[in-house]
Order: sequence, then C-alpha cells, then structure tokens
Amino acid sequence: MDLVSQYGPALLRGFGITVICWILGTIFGMALGLVIALIQRYAPRPVRWLIQIYIEVIRGTPFLVQLFVLYYGGPLIGLRLDALPAGLLGLTIYGSPYFAEIFRSGFRAVAHGQIEAARAIGMTEPTIIRRILLPLGLVSALPALVNFSIILTKETVILSIITVPELMYQVSRMSAETFRYVEANLVLALFFWALVETISRLGRRLEARITQHLIERT
Amino acid sequence: MFSIPVFLESFQPLMWAAQYTLLISVLGILLGLVIGTLICAARLSGSRLLRGFGGLWVSFLRGVPLLVQLLVFYYALPVIGLDVAPTAAAVICVGVCASAYISEIWRGAIAALPRGQAEAARAIGMSPRDTWIRIILPQAFSMSLPALVNELILLVKASSLVSVVGILEITRASQAQAATTFRPLEVYIAAACIYLAINLCLAALGRYLEHRTAV
Amino acid sequence: MQASSVEISKVNKFYGPFHALKDVDLSIPPGKVTCLIGPSGSGKSTLLRCINFLEEYDSGEVRIDGKLMGYDAPGRKMSGKKLRQMRRGVGMVFQQFNLWPHMTALQNVAEGLIRVRGLPKSEAEARATDALRKVGLADKTGNHPARLSGGQQQRVAIARAIAMEPQLMLFDEPTSALDPELVGEVLNVMKTLASEGMTMVVVTHEMGFAAHVADQVAFMEKGELVAVDSPQGIFHAPKDERIWNFLRTYRERNAF
Repeated sequence: MDLVSQYGPALLRGFGITVICWILGTIFGMALGLVIALIQRYAPRPVRWLIQIYIEVIRGTPFLVQLFVLYYGGPLIGLRLDALPAGLLGLTIYGSPYFAEIFRSGFRAVAHGQIEAARAIGMTEPTIIRRILLPLGLVSALPALVNFSIILTKETVILSIITVPELMYQVSRMSAETFRYVEANLVLALFFWALVETISRLGRRLEARITQHLIERT
Repeated sequence: MFSIPVFLESFQPLMWAAQYTLLISVLGILLGLVIGTLICAARLSGSRLLRGFGGLWVSFLRGVPLLVQLLVFYYALPVIGLDVAPTAAAVICVGVCASAYISEIWRGAIAALPRGQAEAARAIGMSPRDTWIRIILPQAFSMSLPALVNELILLVKASSLVSVVGILEITRASQAQAATTFRPLEVYIAAACIYLAINLCLAALGRYLEHRTAV
Repeated sequence: MQASSVEISKVNKFYGPFHALKDVDLSIPPGKVTCLIGPSGSGKSTLLRCINFLEEYDSGEVRIDGKLMGYDAPGRKMSGKKLRQMRRGVGMVFQQFNLWPHMTALQNVAEGLIRVRGLPKSEAEARATDALRKVGLADKTGNHPARLSGGQQQRVAIARAIAMEPQLMLFDEPTSALDPELVGEVLNVMKTLASEGMTMVVVTHEMGFAAHVADQVAFMEKGELVAVDSPQGIFHAPKDERIWNFLRTYRERNAF
C-alpha cells in the first residue's frame, strides 16, 4: 500500500510520458516517412541516392546508438537537447525509414492500371497523388503501419537509458530504491504485454472497418 | 568540431568488442532457431495444450520490450539460485526472444505453401512424415532464409541493449571509450559505423540468398 | 495393365450447411474413360477428389474394385497406413500441376517410387526416365518445374502419376490452367493413356476431348448427377433440359 502512495504518481507520470512518446513518435515518424516515400517516388536520382543512404544508415544501426549520438554527441556540434525532446527526435528519425518503406510498398500495391485510368481522364499528378495514390496506398499500408507503431511502443523503453522519465525509467528508479527488481520488471513486462495485445486487437478492428468496402464479395 | 583522429582511434577498442556483438547475435539466432522450431511444431501440433502454450510464448515475447525481458531475466536468475555467466545469460535471453519471431517465420512460410503441394504427396500415398521432411520443410526453409538473415540483423542491433546489464560488446565499449576521451560524438559515430558495416554485409547475404532461392 | 473399376453409390458431402454432393451414384467401368462435365461449382471436382479420399465424403460409398475407400465401416475412418495403401493404386493429376518446385522433373517422378514404393534410387530413376519418355519429355529430366512450360509441367505431373503404375487415373481439370496452344500436348498424352486401357476419370471443360475420347460422360449440376450417357447421347441427344442449356452456353461462348 505504501508503495502505491509513494511511487504511484511517478509511475503514472511515467506512463503518461510513455504514451506521449509513442503517439508523437508515431505521428512524426509517419509524417517524415511519408515525405521520404514521396521523395523516393518523384525526386531526381541524386536526391534519391542521398535518401537511400539515410535509410540504410538508420536501419543498419541500433536505436540505442542513435540516441547516444544525438543526446551525448549532439552538444559537441551545438545540438543541445533535453532528454525528452532528444528522445522524441530520436524516435522520429528511427521510425522514419521503416514508415517510408511501408508507404512505398503501399504505393506499389496500388495497381498501375488505376493510376493510368486517372491519367487517362486527364487528372494532374498532384491530384492523382491526393485522390488515388494516397487513399488506396494508405489502406493497403494500414496493417503494416499498425504493426510498426506497436513496435515503436516497445522501443520507447529504450529512452529510459538516456534518462527520459518515462515508465521504464520510473520503474528502474523504484526498483533501485526498494530492491524489488524482479517484481517491478515482471509487472512492467505484464503491463507491456497487455498494452501491446490491446493495441494490436484495436488495430485489427480498425483494419476490418476501413477495408470492408474494398474486399470483393464472392 | 568533429575530430577525425579521435574518430579513427575509437575503432580499435570497438572492433575488438565487435566480436562479442557477433558472438551474442550468432549464438542467439542459433538458440532461437532450435527453440523457435520447437515452438512452431507445438503451434502446428494436434494438442490443444501445446498450441496454447506456443501461442502464449509467442505473444508474450513479442509483446514485451527486449530491454524489460533482459532485466527480468537478469535479476531473476540469482533469485531462483542460478549462477549463469552474464554473457551466457545475454545469449539465452536474446535467443529466447528471437525464438518467438523465428517460430512465426516458419509458420508463415509453411502457411504460404500452396495446399496442392502436400495434396500431391498424399495422392501418391506418401506418409505424413515423408511429406513433411521431403516436401514441406525443404521449401519452407529456403523460403525463410532471407527472413532469417533479416532476423539476424535485428539481433545484431538488439544486442546493443545487453550493454545495460554491463556486458561488453560494441555499445558498452563505446560508452567506456566516450567516458575516457570525452568525445562521445566521434566514438558513438564510430560505433554506428561498425554496426552498419556488419549489417550491410548481412543484408547483402540476405539478398544473395533471396535471388538464389527465387528459382 | 490391370484396370480398376469404381462404384460410387449414394455419396453425400457437406461443407457446413452447403450440400456439395447429393446422393451421387456413378459406376466407372474398368479400362474406360469417364468424363465429368458441368458448370463450375457443380461438384465435379469434389466428386473426383472423393474417389481418392482427398475429400472426405460424409455418407454413401466409394468402392474401388469392391474395396471401400476411406472407411473401414460406415462412420469409421480407415487408418492412414491403409489409406496410403489404397491411394497407391490411384494416380491423380491436378489443375495446378502441384509439381514440387525444389525438385527436378526426374526427382518429382522418382520421389514417390523411392519414398512410397521403396525402390532403390537407381531403379526409381530408371523408371522415372521411362515415364518421362512416355510423355515426351526424355530431354527435360534435369529441369526444375520453373524452367518448363505449363504443358510440360502438366506432362511431368502425369508422368509422376503413371510411374506409380496405378490401376486408375483421376484428372482434375488438367488443361484449365494452360494457355490454349499448350492444351493439345497434354490431351494427346491422355489419349495415349486411354488407348492403353487405363481406367480414367476426367473432370474437364474440353468438350471436344469428352466427345471423342470418353466412353461415357456424366453431367453434374448443383451437386447432383443429372445424367450418365454415351458422348453421343449427352452431346447430340441430351435428355435433360439442364444439359441442353449448359451446352448452349458453352457453344455461344466458344463461337466466333
């Protein structure tokens, strides 16, 4: 009982920060990923190469090392960020190439014929993107988007290592003070398990809702 | 600003530590293959109990962040009276986590095989055992190879987390190096370069396997 | 060559509430070709797959040379071992060929001889080569399926079935997945088989094949066996309006 009153508020605050990191990280990462995917589709070749290098670098290195470069290395080149903004920026950068890849294959899933049909009736390229490519591409990318945003939920705990005061950070502090390492981390594990299961269930419902009119009835 | 000499000097201790990153990842994926295959077999078996167990195993390990799994495991070992070397503990933890993903890779590959493949075997009177060994598994395995290489890449990156419990590998070594040189930027970028080099090689291997198996 | 006969009586099959086969009776004489025709979804393939028990019928009997297929007694399924024993005598060719892509043509044909018949590898390969020669593919033994045309793949699939020396061959729309120009080579192999006195049951949309090669033609619709007659009777003097309608649609679609 004591533990609850003593650590409850901190844990709750930590949970709030975890949720904020997850939601903002997903939104920003998705936005950056969408921009990257569109650049890859339409930009001239040298730009695409640069983007490709960015993608390879981010996907080829651990999130933790990216955070270290950003948070501890940043000040050396004048990038001084608090832990939380650094963590959010890190999540955004880390997620962007994965989101970009998801969008890219979503776009590819839009049948070429549907784009051609739009061109044939004289739609301009921006209109095609807005009215045909994005809506159809987003729908086919949806399962993968939900999936990756769930992966991001789990990645938020890594932010605790650069002292972002999210849930895992609070749990670590609590267990260091009470010496209840096993129990605290076990509870945290169960909590994440429940959270991820819930989100994926909601995600599946959302998919079913959004795609129902696109599935051919036999 | 960015000091090239510091950057270059960081490579030596980090390269030395890279062997531990590789060791943990490779042993991790081997362990993951063994456990993952068993879990996949459990999930495809006729027994409800085994299927339920396999399902829980996969759902738990995929639902809980690896860092949390690592800490639970690390702190729980002494409590249940097991004295395991820290590096071995890390390998076990990484391997167990990978088993959940590998089991799903197997299951996906087996499910992706057209039904007719097994049907043709049944139609000529082949036994279930031969059908699995000769028809289903060889195809599932070659289909899964690229995904398995991808899993290895994920493990190389995930192994950076074992630095948290003090196991020496690239990330831990770079933390130590950063603390002594006071040049975290150069050191961590050097670490990133080594990870990148390892993973680009693995990715090339994956692409090669993909082309080779695409008959 | 020994040739089997098949007696199908009062066979019913349900998929949940859907009644896929309704009291089907059909007698397949030895050494003859029986063609099953009818609109898609009429149950032809389901009936064919009941003969080697790839599809489990719910009631009635399928007897091959008098032996009950799939069940020891009504409602009691036979053991896997016994089922495999019975399936050895029944060859099957699928619409999608179902060749094993990780094996060469020769290995595809030899696999069953080695694993099921227990022949030594050298003998299995010799027989597999013979079977491939018979379907005109002696020069393709080392090719993987992906390196063969659809017609060649289907001929390998036929070789795979006949290498097992079956007494009965089942064909499930063997030419439906083929480009039109490749249909002929497969039908020719089937004609040769028929002329050698193999009992054949063929689900097909090739009315020409049914008319010229079949000894009897069975017409199915909506899970019912509507009529069994000589090709002459079915194609030129259909006794049932449903057959007449089906043939009219078929002719209209193929007219130009």
